[in-house]
Amino acid sequence: MILEHFFPMPDVVTGFNITMRSFTTIVSAAALMLGVIFLTISHARTISQQKSGWYYSIFYMISLLITVGLGLLSVRNENFLWIYDNMTSPTGAALYSLTAFYITSAAYRVFRARNWNAAVLLITGFVVLAMLIPIGGILLPPVVPLGEWFRSYPSSAGFRGMIMGTSLGTMGLGVRVFIGRQKEHLGVREERRGVE
Amino acid sequence: MSIINKLLNIDQRIIYAALFIALAYPILSPVMLPMDIQGYSQQAFDFSDSIPEGSIVIFEGGLGAATYPQGGPGMVVQIYHMLTKGVKIVFFSIGTEQNFWTVRAIETALGKLPPGTPAENGVDWVHLGYVAGGEAGVGSLVNDIRATITSDYYGTPIDDIPLLEGVNDASSFAAVLWWGGSEGSMPYGIRQISVPFGIPITGMSTTNEVPNFSPYISAGQLQGIFGGVRGSAEYEYLMRLPGPALGQAMATNFGGLLWMILVILGNVFYFIQRTRGEE
Repeated sequence: MILEHFFPMPDVVTGFNITMRSFTTIVSAAALMLGVIFLTISHARTISQQKSGWYYSIFYMISLLITVGLGLLSVRNENFLWIYDNMTSPTGAALYSLTAFYITSAAYRVFRARNWNAAVLLITGFVVLAMLIPIGGILLPPVVPLGEWFRSYPSSAGFRGMIMGTSLGTMGLGVRVFIGRQKEHLGVREERRGVE
Repeated sequence: MSIINKLLNIDQRIIYAALFIALAYPILSPVMLPMDIQGYSQQAFDFSDSIPEGSIVIFEGGLGAATYPQGGPGMVVQIYHMLTKGVKIVFFSIGTEQNFWTVRAIETALGKLPPGTPAENGVDWVHLGYVAGGEAGVGSLVNDIRATITSDYYGTPIDDIPLLEGVNDASSFAAVLWWGGSEGSMPYGIRQISVPFGIPITGMSTTNEVPNFSPYISAGQLQGIFGGVRGSAEYEYLMRLPGPALGQAMATNFGGLLWMILVILGNVFYFIQRTRGEE
C-alpha cells in the first residue's frame, strides 16, 4: 500500500489493496460496536459495585437505551433526530463555548510579558487574534498583513516540521509493530516484558 | 492589598459575566459592524466559484454538535452555492454523528434554494452516509465506491442512483469539498483524494485548526479554507446570503475585543505592580 502511493502498480496489487481497505472499514465499524459494548460493561460494573459517582453511569445507561432503541426503529425517525436537535446539539455547543470563558479568564491572569519569550508570544497572539476577529483589520489595519505573515511563514514552517516529524514517527512505530518490537497495543507493558 | 493587586486578582466570575454580556448582546440585539474578507476565505470562495457547471464534487460533512454552530451556516452556503451553479454533489461523512449534521445542512440548504433550482436526491446530489475506517475508509471509498458501500443514507442501492451511473472512483470528481470542522481530517482528503487523483480541494475547519492546514495552503495543496464562524460569515457575505453566521461573527467581534482589552489591562496592571516592587 505504501509503494502504491509512489509507483504505478499492477491491477492485481491495486485490487488487493482496495479489498484490504474495505476490510479496514468493516473492522473499524466492528471496533466501534466493541467500544460501545466494553463501555457499557464498564458502566454496568460501576453501578453494580456502587463505585464513586455510580449514579452518573445510570444516566449513561438510560441515554444508551433510549438512543439505541430509537435508532434501531429508524435513524431517520423524528424522535431520534429530536435527540440530536434538542439535546446533543445544545450540549455540544455549550461545552465547546465554555472554553471561551476559561480562555478569556486565563488570558487575563497568565498572558503577560514576564520575559522576552513571553513577550514574543503575547505580541504574536495579540496580532493573530486581532487579525481573526472580523473588525480587527478595520480597527488596526497593519495586523492583517502581519498576522497573515505569521500564519503563512513561522506558523506554517513549524506545523510543516511537526507534520513531517509525526509522519516519520508514525512510520517508525508501524515498523516497530510489524517486527514485534512494540507490544503495548496488545496490552504488554514495557516493565512486564523486562521481567519476562 | 493595593488596588492594582485587587484588579489583578479580580474574581473570575466578573470576567465570565463581562464575556457573557459581550457575546450575548450582539446576538440579542443585532449590530452590524464592518468586516473584511480574509485571504484564505477569498481563495476558497474563488475556487468554489470556479468549479464548472455540470461537474460532480465529493463533499465530506464532518461537523458535529460542537462545531455545527460555527461551520454549519457556511456548509449550508457551500451546498447552496454548488446546487445553484448546477454542480452535483456526492456527500459522505467519516463520523457517525457528523452524518446526521450533514443531513441537517443538506435539508437547510434545500430549503433556501430559489424555486426551480434542480436539487433532486439521487440526480443532483446523493448522500452516501457514514463511511467507517477513518482515512482508510476514505481511501477505500474513493478507489471503489461499490466495494465500500452498497446503498446511500436513504437506503437506495448504489446502482439505482442515476448520479452515480458510471461513477465508481474519485476520477469522476472535479473537486473535493472537505468540511471537517474540528476532526483534523482535512489531510485525509489531501492524501487520499486530492494528490493521488489530482483533484483540487478546499473546505472548512474550526478557527483554531486553521494554522494546522496553512502548510498545505502555502504548498498549493489546499485551495484556501473557511476558518470557523468568521469563515462561514464571510461565505454568507460573499454569496449575499445573510444567515446565522453573520450575527455570530458580530458576537465574535465583541468577545474578541473584550479579550484584547483584558489582556492589555492585565499587562498594564502587571507592569505597574512590578514598577512598585509589589509581589
